Amino acid sequence: MIWKTAWKNVWRNKVRSMVVIASVTIGIFGGIFAVAVMNGAIAQRVDAALNEEISHIHINDPAFRDNYDMQLIIADPEQVISTILETPGVAALTPRTMIAGMANTATKSTGVQIIGIAPEKEKEVLKLYDTTIPGTGDFFETESRYKLAYIGHELAKELNIIRYRIDQDVLDSLAVKNLPVELLDKLSAFSGTRFKSEKAFKKEMKGALSLKEQNAYGALIKEEAWSFRARSKMTLTFLDKEQIQTGAVFRITGVFDIKNSMYEMSQVLVKNEDMMGLTGMAPNEYHQLVVRLNDTELTEKTTTSLREKLPGLEIMNWKEIQPDLAMMTDMVQNFYAIFMVVILAALAFGIVNTMLMVVLERTKELGMLTAIGMNKKRVFRMIMLESVFLSMVGGVVGMIISKILIGLTSSTGINFASYAEGFEALGFAAHIYPEISTSFFITVTVLIILTGILSSIYPALKALKLDPAEALRTE
Amino acid sequence: MNNLKLAWRNLWRNRRRTLITSASIFFAVFFALVMRSIQLGSYDHMYKNAIESYTGYIQIQHRDFWDEKTVDNTFTYDKYLEKQILADENVTAAIPRFESFALASNGPQTKGVLVMGIAPEKEIHLSKIRDKTVKFRLTSESIAKIEEDPSIPEKVKELAPLFENNAYTTASRLQLDLDIPDKEAHVLMPAIEAHARSENGSIAMGEPGAWVGDKLAQYLQLGIGDTIVLIGQGYHATTAAGKYEIKGIVKIPLPDIDNKIVYLPLDICQELYNAQGNLTSLALAVKDNKDKAIAGTVERISTKIPGDQKVMEWREMNEVMVSQMDADDKGGQIMLGILYLVIAFGIFGTVLMLTSERKREFGVLVAIGMQKKKLASIMTLEMLLIGLLGLLVGVVVASALILYGVDHPIIFKGETAKMFAEYGMEPKMAFMTIGSYYISQIVIVVAMVLLAIGYPLRKITGMKVVNALRA
Amino acid sequence: MKTRKSALSIFLILSPALLLLGQELSPKEIIRKADEKFNGEKTSTSIMAMTIVRPTWKRTIEFKNWTSGREYALTLITAPAKDKGQSFLKRQNEMWNWNPTISRLIKLPPSMMSQGWMGSDYTNDDILKESSVVNDYDHQIVGEEEYNGRMCYKIKMLAKEDAAVIWGHQLRWIDKKDFLFLKSELYDEDGYLVRTELGSEIKTMDGRLIPTRIELIPAEEEGQMTIIEMKEMKFNETIKESFFSQQNMKRVR
Repeated sequence: MIWKTAWKNVWRNKVRSMVVIASVTIGIFGGIFAVAVMNGAIAQRVDAALNEEISHIHINDPAFRDNYDMQLIIADPEQVISTILETPGVAALTPRTMIAGMANTATKSTGVQIIGIAPEKEKEVLKLYDTTIPGTGDFFETESRYKLAYIGHELAKELNIIRYRIDQDVLDSLAVKNLPVELLDKLSAFSGTRFKSEKAFKKEMKGALSLKEQNAYGALIKEEAWSFRARSKMTLTFLDKEQIQTGAVFRITGVFDIKNSMYEMSQVLVKNEDMMGLTGMAPNEYHQLVVRLNDTELTEKTTTSLREKLPGLEIMNWKEIQPDLAMMTDMVQNFYAIFMVVILAALAFGIVNTMLMVVLERTKELGMLTAIGMNKKRVFRMIMLESVFLSMVGGVVGMIISKILIGLTSSTGINFASYAEGFEALGFAAHIYPEISTSFFITVTVLIILTGILSSIYPALKALKLDPAEALRTE
Repeated sequence: MNNLKLAWRNLWRNRRRTLITSASIFFAVFFALVMRSIQLGSYDHMYKNAIESYTGYIQIQHRDFWDEKTVDNTFTYDKYLEKQILADENVTAAIPRFESFALASNGPQTKGVLVMGIAPEKEIHLSKIRDKTVKFRLTSESIAKIEEDPSIPEKVKELAPLFENNAYTTASRLQLDLDIPDKEAHVLMPAIEAHARSENGSIAMGEPGAWVGDKLAQYLQLGIGDTIVLIGQGYHATTAAGKYEIKGIVKIPLPDIDNKIVYLPLDICQELYNAQGNLTSLALAVKDNKDKAIAGTVERISTKIPGDQKVMEWREMNEVMVSQMDADDKGGQIMLGILYLVIAFGIFGTVLMLTSERKREFGVLVAIGMQKKKLASIMTLEMLLIGLLGLLVGVVVASALILYGVDHPIIFKGETAKMFAEYGMEPKMAFMTIGSYYISQIVIVVAMVLLAIGYPLRKITGMKVVNALRA
Repeated sequence: MKTRKSALSIFLILSPALLLLGQELSPKEIIRKADEKFNGEKTSTSIMAMTIVRPTWKRTIEFKNWTSGREYALTLITAPAKDKGQSFLKRQNEMWNWNPTISRLIKLPPSMMSQGWMGSDYTNDDILKESSVVNDYDHQIVGEEEYNGRMCYKIKMLAKEDAAVIWGHQLRWIDKKDFLFLKSELYDEDGYLVRTELGSEIKTMDGRLIPTRIELIPAEEEGQMTIIEMKEMKFNETIKESFFSQQNMKRVR
């Protein structure tokens, strides 16, 4: 009965209630959506790292990571591998050799980390192959009699394997894409130019185009000027087992883009079988084993279990390899909750004010109710319920709106393109897909109810203090 | 009676509502100011750390150096230029550096390293490299000594071997690793420090000698007193070759740098690369590091340097960090925006209630002859006063907290503390004073109030007195 | 009568063959001959000067060079004073450097190999790897041109798919009379010119005609080149394999 009455009471002053409800809706919606965006960014980053870069666990010789000394191979590899695969929680494993070397093209050279892999096994553990830039090839899929290498976008640009050039083709396709004539004229001054580097290209464009033109057409021009030659050649030089220099020409099988500039600059993936002939290492000699688990939640447990079984090796999980990732996921949960609490506290003021007014304007009515014998507890509860209803209606509407919007944007994502450089350098994609867990919604619901309850305490107490006789006499 | 007095009196007619509404404004303002202070304090702390330990706020470089960091793109540094620069009001010190790449060898093993030629006394303004020398090391001999020492408790003896070969730049880190609580520290630490002490010599201008990163020294299996050989390409394609006695070991918090860094005295480094008198960069330490002061300094210095050099400021040299700061900033602003939006609704709610409650009163006033304009202005003043009340209290309380926090930052302990230490930062959450931000808060509050007032004002102007009297 | 007829018929049958003998060489043959002129000697002993030209400065290094086949080479820097006494040893795929200033013998790792040797536009890779212009390319004659007063075959060399060369193709001007490499243009896979090599000042050294001045010009850098001048050259002197040793690096004068 109280519930029905309380509900009806809420709607007695439609305008006032709507204002409160609206404020709760906006607060909840704003809060949840902001949290969803942050959460999405972080989840993406962690996923990307886990799926494309490091996976869950790395196993290597204890001294290996100090200087990546190629002599430090894993002892007794077959035994170790079978032990790992038998461990519960382990889904797949890929072995790697890692050697520092130089990559050269006709015009540029740079230091790289050459990773010898078994492509089939690699695909079971990491999804890097999914990030191949369309048109640049594939992840060792196509049969070839050459030695193949799979490199990152940043490295390809650094080595001038990917170049920016403006020639008639580019100008023509830009014309088709409706680039303004004056702009085309400016660009035709560069016709036939192949730019020395991405930096040089950007510099020239900045010099030739106005700021407005850059903002409007910069991305398009860059996209059209981007050029890549399939199966480009690159030499890799490094030291073999006997510390003698060796190397060979490799052809690019594909270029990957994972929005993490640091990783893309340094890693070159090649087939381990191609490397063996050059390094003199035997088929079963590896530097590192990368393990993927069935579930990220099993990380801690599996790490401990592996450490017990393989005491002579260094076992590192992703939280230890990249502590900043761990920090983000762990610390940030607390932050979300605090943020919602703050918003709800702000909302509480409005609710208290409203409820107070409700109580004061219904003094006569409340006085009468008490006079006819409604016990104080029920009065208190009724007021509390009204408060809770106010908050909940607003809260539910807010949550529904945010759920819809999150649902919409989670597939298309939100583009933070202008911040792209900063984002990508840090390893975050600039295109964020908001996401939020159901448990968060539940937490928010609970918090809203609590807010409703807490805000009603003061006004309800006021209502109880009313002297029925006094109240009846009020106008 | 004066409108203001009327407005003020009206406020206190419904004390509770006035207080609650201003309380909500107080809450928002307080929160906004404190959050901003913490945010700026954190940036300052984190980024200042990064900037001040490496690039500094302003650098003078050869015009082409930033795009192509080669030995050939170095500039000549002479006394005259130094005098000019130090004469600037905002410059406290000029720190010269010569950085390049070389191969370090111990004979059979060769490794690419980063060579930094520094003026050791000047670096206290910037990288404070002297503080990063390894002062304690848990070598097997030190551990043996600790185990034999009767004054040291068992649990410390058990922990010590776990950290074998670890190098420490501070006693406090050693204390942390050995899990010695602060109260026992002054009793136990002196003995432990004595057992684990590692003497470092200094490097000085004019004396050949090197400081080497801990991980690099371990890889090349070289220690203090051993010789490190450096080979590279010098100025104008000459050969750079030199051998130096290792005078000390340093430990840089970033392992990627620690395993490839070699410090040489500036003049020795210049000689190595056949670029005597040249620098790759001149970093400036400044008195005031606020944006305006820096911009001013950059402008003044630019006029004093020769044409082949240019001035760079920290934003250009730390683009990634700046993007990150911007993104953080925007994120924070959005959150505050949501907060204020919520409060704005609260104010609107209050105003609504106010208006409907006092409809009759308004009717009466107008009926007895008060001009609608006057009524409107009284209402406006009332709301403004509520806003100002909340604002004032918010500002006062927030300022008090901020001023306290600036001198007493929140110190982190435990895991979080360790993480900060990894990056070479003190584990604290810092506050910062936020001058101009107050103004924006005031503007926001006033704007909110004025917006909310629109409703009652409309009601007043459109009011039909007859209806109002019947309310 | 019969013999004369048969002799005539034999002559007639053979004559096309005879004509062929005097016919043009295949492009591959031309390249091979030029290559052998350049690299074919068993050993060489020479005194050279290398000038590095850059937009804002210039530097000249003088050195003595001993080679044996393609596998062994020893270089001793004789000027300027700061670099004098440094020596470089190449043994197959390894390169060593002796620096008397610091009395150290260092093995040069791959990272040093990709930079210019002594700061020049020659990479250490160039010196070490030396792919075969004969075997790693497909050749065709694309014309005849005069260069520096000499008539040359202009030959286009397309890098074979499997070859361990970084170039896409090369254009070479080879002197028709003496089979000297007079001019080379090296292109990358996209067909852009990356480097030009010019040979001039053809002189006779130890009975052989060779270009004694070689200019190496990178295409994408302004005002940059490396000039090698051969002051003296002797071929096929006896040089023992033990000459090309680490001990000798320190002793050689």
